[in-house]
Amino acid sequence: MSDGISGPIRRSASVRRLVAIGVTLIVLLSPFLWLLQMSFKSNDLILQFPPPLIFTPTLQNYASLWQGAFPVSFVNSLMSASFSTALALVLGVPAAYALSRWAGRGKHAVSFAILVTRMAPPIAFTIPFFLFYRWIGLLDTVTGLVLVYTSFNLPLVIWMMQPFFETVPPSLEEAALVDGASTRVVFLQIVLPMVTPGIAATAILCFLYAWNDFFFALILTRTNARTAPVAVVNFMNYEGWEWGKIAAGGSLVMAPVLIFSLAVRRYLVSGLTAGAVKG
Amino acid sequence: MTKKNSSDKSAGLSRRTLLRAGAATIGAAAFPMPVIAQTKPFAGVTLRGASFQHRFFTLLQSYIPEFEAQTGMKVDLQLSAFPVYNQQANLELSSGGSAFDFVNVTFILAARWVAAGLLANLDEFTGDPNLTPAEWKPKDFVEGAQVPYRDAKGATYGYSWEGGAMVMGLSRMDLMEKKGLKIPKTFAELQEVCAAINGTDGVTGLVSFQLHHWCLPPYIQGFGGNIFRNPPTDIMPALNSPEAVQAVEFYANLLKNYAPKGVLTYTEDQARQALLTGRSNIFIHSSAWITPILMSGDSKVKDTSRVVRMPAGPVRDFPAANSQGLGIPKNAKNKKAAWEFIKWALSPEISMRLVKEHGHSSVCRRSVIESEEYRKLNTVNGQDLGALYLEVLGLPAKGENYMAYRTVKEFPIVGDVLNKAFEQVATGQLPAQAAMNAAQEQAIANMRRAGTAL
Repeated sequence: MSDGISGPIRRSASVRRLVAIGVTLIVLLSPFLWLLQMSFKSNDLILQFPPPLIFTPTLQNYASLWQGAFPVSFVNSLMSASFSTALALVLGVPAAYALSRWAGRGKHAVSFAILVTRMAPPIAFTIPFFLFYRWIGLLDTVTGLVLVYTSFNLPLVIWMMQPFFETVPPSLEEAALVDGASTRVVFLQIVLPMVTPGIAATAILCFLYAWNDFFFALILTRTNARTAPVAVVNFMNYEGWEWGKIAAGGSLVMAPVLIFSLAVRRYLVSGLTAGAVKG
Repeated sequence: MTKKNSSDKSAGLSRRTLLRAGAATIGAAAFPMPVIAQTKPFAGVTLRGASFQHRFFTLLQSYIPEFEAQTGMKVDLQLSAFPVYNQQANLELSSGGSAFDFVNVTFILAARWVAAGLLANLDEFTGDPNLTPAEWKPKDFVEGAQVPYRDAKGATYGYSWEGGAMVMGLSRMDLMEKKGLKIPKTFAELQEVCAAINGTDGVTGLVSFQLHHWCLPPYIQGFGGNIFRNPPTDIMPALNSPEAVQAVEFYANLLKNYAPKGVLTYTEDQARQALLTGRSNIFIHSSAWITPILMSGDSKVKDTSRVVRMPAGPVRDFPAANSQGLGIPKNAKNKKAAWEFIKWALSPEISMRLVKEHGHSSVCRRSVIESEEYRKLNTVNGQDLGALYLEVLGLPAKGENYMAYRTVKEFPIVGDVLNKAFEQVATGQLPAQAAMNAAQEQAIANMRRAGTAL
């Protein structure tokens, strides 16, 4: 009898769960799916109202995308996002480790000061960056973008990595030191492997920030260092918007982040949830 | 000995002369560029220019190698999307940069840039016969298209490369004829035709797009109003004048009753598409957007279309006109080279080549537009599109400069307010009078905040 009651209840709960998951997926994925279906349509079809949901797909938008300056912009984006992420990690991870192990009185003040650059909106820094870059000749260079993104990502790395280092017991490091390991070896071979999930999660966030940036790239680049998001906007011509290319470009711009996120998904989940149930 | 010496000497001279001549010949053959380069005053100069992407520049780029060969300079032309270019150029010019030697002077920003002294006075170039030959003829540019590039004293800061003349396209004359309707010549007739056609054969009466501060002012002026009280001298907004309110009501009703659903969010190409496919009967916009109904391969209404003057208002007949220009930043490093480029790009020869070889008809040189070749190429189904284009483009310079509202630097501020107010009326959120009263107050407040003394 109990099975007879619990069976329908269980089934009903499963159905509710499935519906909830389905609705959530539709809400989350609909902008992406809409963009994706647009990228396989011709401009005429895109502008039709009501929009046709069944159509003969074309790869023309993707093909034409690679004939212009978009590939260069894509490479620029990859370079600026990758190098700035790497640089922010190289500088920020040791800084975070040092701060986590520092028990001095100024620790909180220093930590707070590091966060200051993340407190103001980017627009506040754009014009000073523009004028300074013009003066030193870094306008329209990938190096210039890397430095800007690094300066914004560095505080994030330091703040995100500190709690991870604090979870590593100092006794482990002390044991290694007693065994004759140098500080460098302790850091690289004992501490770092233990915070890998944190590094992965932080790297994703840094990469996302740099990859998705539009504003700095708009102001600080022209044609040589133009990034993919700005290149997509360049399909909004005076004589008409190239909707198909915008959609194809937008879909392609999402790809690296998607691939990167999937590649480090295992670390990402544990990294972002670390500390969630700790006191 | 003397003889021998003499002979030796003569032989030696001869050898030297031969050697020198040979070396010179070999040298000239091996390294001809420096010799040629010396004849080109701009050899070695890299000219940096920027504009938004437009067909004109795409076409011009194919001719640029010829210019580079003639002058010896290298042209680095950066083309970006319209909003991207305006953002970057605004920042570059207003911060006194020298990254560009020539720039596109975007119509909506022209007055601001000219008034702020960000551009070089081109009269200094056209006034010097060493820099500008008489046959270049600055006065050949259609006067109405040149208005935005002049300061209060009449000095010129840009020369127009593209003109936009507001005309009316009718895609379904077949439907109109069946119903016995004539081409509307007044606002009242426009409404009648829209009402009669709307819904027939799935066609809407008219279509428009979201840039209301371009589409709406001809109606405001047609009813006798204006955006400012008396621009450019008196720039007090006049958005809640009875004429402006009447115009807003009229145009909002047109869109509410006879345009496709969602027209308030339409972009220009969506509206053009509706016209090209015959889904909407009337579209009033710049000639470059309307004439494709007769000239584009995509047009499905070539045989049933007409392109004419937009209807006149009960008080005035003021179709809008605009142009885009080329200018030289005040701090440009290569001003003379930039002027050489502008002279070449906007020369009668290049303008005519653009018309003949590519059908690019929205040039601004009167002599080209009035030429027989231009007329032949731009007469379609018996409609002389060139004459219509020239007529409308030239109107602001005849008598009252009714486009002056758009040449004052405060227009973008007031234009934004007007856009929002119109949307409130068209969506039924507010009655026209209330929306325009609020818009008037908002415009004044915004202008004061921006530092305008009223």
